[in-house]
Amino acid sequence: MKSIKNMTNAELAAFIESHLLKKGIYVVLSGGACVSIYSSNKYVSMDLDLVNVRFAKRRDIRSAIQEIGFQEEGRHYRHPDTELLIEFPPGPLAVGEEPVKKVDEHKLPTGILRIISPTDCVKDRLAGYYHWNDLQCLEQAALVAEAIEIDLEEIERWSKVEGKLGEFKRIRTRFVRKAT
Amino acid sequence: MLVPILGSLSSERVLIFILTRREGYAREIARFFETDLDPIQKQLDKLELGGILVSRTAGRTLLYEFNPRYTFLKELKNLLQKALSFYPEEEREKLLMNRRRPRRRGKPL
Repeated sequence: MKSIKNMTNAELAAFIESHLLKKGIYVVLSGGACVSIYSSNKYVSMDLDLVNVRFAKRRDIRSAIQEIGFQEEGRHYRHPDTELLIEFPPGPLAVGEEPVKKVDEHKLPTGILRIISPTDCVKDRLAGYYHWNDLQCLEQAALVAEAIEIDLEEIERWSKVEGKLGEFKRIRTRFVRKAT
Repeated sequence: MLVPILGSLSSERVLIFILTRREGYAREIARFFETDLDPIQKQLDKLELGGILVSRTAGRTLLYEFNPRYTFLKELKNLLQKALSFYPEEEREKLLMNRRRPRRRGKPL
């Protein structure tokens, strides 16, 4: 097993997720770290947002993650061998108003990585753009779409549900190249 | 009104305040309801941790508002709106009649 110091973001997430799952705590990687992973680090995130899908108690998470050397700092966890901050945002696992229906799984040397799909990752970033007008989120969504196949029709459908179809149509060309 | 669902009066006060005023800070909410600061602050922390509220700083003040990405926001707001409609008229007006738009400096009242 690699040391934490030498793990990539994805490997570290898989390591933590797998350890927590042994304790009955199910978490899924979401947020900016997914952009890093899907864009092959064209965007660098220093956080791992592991969504606490089944609402495990905070003290149970704390106790489980301490076993692998992480310490609580405010609302985050840190390990002396990595700069990455670990956070456990509350569930449900959702993008905007809709639940995430399918979680992708990838077998890595450090465990199984459970992560939202590239299409849901784009939706997640677009939610930040739609609701906060955060242009960085739009750029992150575009980075994912450039790097990996996404389902553009699904994103259009979801944008409509979010009441943002007009906005999506305006930015659609940013996502066309890699669309299915 | 919603205490049996929300579990605390402070939680209801925080949510109703933010529903009607769009945003608020701990001392302002406590002052409005003439209550202690501590339980209001605790509820704001709890609601932020739960992803229902988000905070941002304005000068030295920590302002809270609804998290537009909270999955159940529409439903929560509908529930709060309904609860608000059952509030005594005087209290409802006090919550709602609050000028948020700018007023030019020096303009006579």
